[in-house]
Amino acid sequence: MQPPIPQASRARLFKEYKEVQREKAADPDIQLVCDDSNIFKWTALIKGPSETPFEGGVFQLAFAVPEQYPLQPPQVRFLTKIFHPNVHFKTGEICLDILKNAWSPAWTLQSVCRAIIALMAHPEPDSPLNCDSGNLLRSGDIRGYQSMARMYTRLAAMPKKG
Amino acid sequence: MENEEGLQADGESDPKAPIPVSEVDAWENIRDDDIMQQQSAIRAEEAEKVPFIGDKEPLSVLAAEYESGSPILLKKIKVLGEKYGSIRRTRGDGNCFFRGFMFSYLEHILESQDQAEVDRVTTNVEKCRETLQALGYADFTFEDFFALFLEQLESVVQGKETSISHDELVIRSRDQSISDYIVMFFRFVTSGEIKRRSEFFEPFILGMTNATATVEQFCKSSVEPMGEESDHVHITALSDALGVPIRVVYLDRSTYDIDHVIVNHHDFIPSAGHLPSAGGGSSETTKPIVTLLYRPGHYDILYLK
Repeated sequence: MQPPIPQASRARLFKEYKEVQREKAADPDIQLVCDDSNIFKWTALIKGPSETPFEGGVFQLAFAVPEQYPLQPPQVRFLTKIFHPNVHFKTGEICLDILKNAWSPAWTLQSVCRAIIALMAHPEPDSPLNCDSGNLLRSGDIRGYQSMARMYTRLAAMPKKG
Repeated sequence: MENEEGLQADGESDPKAPIPVSEVDAWENIRDDDIMQQQSAIRAEEAEKVPFIGDKEPLSVLAAEYESGSPILLKKIKVLGEKYGSIRRTRGDGNCFFRGFMFSYLEHILESQDQAEVDRVTTNVEKCRETLQALGYADFTFEDFFALFLEQLESVVQGKETSISHDELVIRSRDQSISDYIVMFFRFVTSGEIKRRSEFFEPFILGMTNATATVEQFCKSSVEPMGEESDHVHITALSDALGVPIRVVYLDRSTYDIDHVIVNHHDFIPSAGHLPSAGGGSSETTKPIVTLLYRPGHYDILYLK
């Protein structure tokens, strides 16, 4: 018999853990770390993609992996404040289809990070969680959006100088 | 408003600070995971009504269901009854095609004890594994699902310590941790087959989606996620990949002549090379292994008399 679900998810996460260790150098923009005592808790540091207002920033993500993983998606949110149409400004919650109904076990924690980096570079202002940010983009005020986003990147996602 | 608050520097805002309740805030505070939780609660409620795989029931239950309904359907059910004796319902959770296929196929192996078929399908499963690898899927993303399917396939073959009875097959098919994993196995196989033969499937996919979805996007959004309903494309791909002929019998209100209704069916016969090799079987001699009853939006399992 196959192990029941919690063991299955633990086994899968352990495989991902080994893969992350092995592939560390392959994706320098993502640093995915498992909690020392709980394989269902992960954090990631991702680099803001270049040529975006997030360039130069390092953003921290928190992963809470459900026991039904990988049939159910991990819950992911930004711990670092970010001004982006698809990220809730207060909670850091992310609006991304693969974290909701378009999830499939073909995704991994690592590829979720890649998808979030892609979302940072390509916001979807038509399904905003941050309406202020979405409205700036929808009204065509690219400059306004970029300067707000850049300001928050500086305030929250860059190491303090001095 | 939010922005000014955020300006006070990160990390200082107290998450427990009372948030002024206005209508806007109330909406804001409904988080996506709350919505997802509500959805899964609704699903759990539905689940109690119909198990993943129901009991075998006489076809007369269908007639009873439509008693006061369309006369065309009632006539069709009568025609259906000439050939088919019973039905086994599946839960309508978007996975019904795969779930129906799973049970019907494993039940066929359990009853026929056709070792040649087991060997044949095992070979095809290995080909599917290679397909996924060639497409760039990491082994660990799909191997657990493959392993669980192969384990079930092995266990319906009798005479081993791990062999299971028909009752046990029903129990396992209703056990979410097994049932969902096998549905997911079929989703991987289907997706791999569609991508492997993308030039073949592309026109069908373009025809059925309103947007200009690519094959890649279609697999990502309509094949691989659990709960996404199956269509001709899925059935064709699964039938081809595993080499299992499937018959789908259609029960809908379409008719040309109310006095002489006919019940249409469509046979999905795998492309040559994958077929059960009963001595160079042509499509005329290929009998469907799995027969499903399709009513718009849903598949159940049908049994011959």
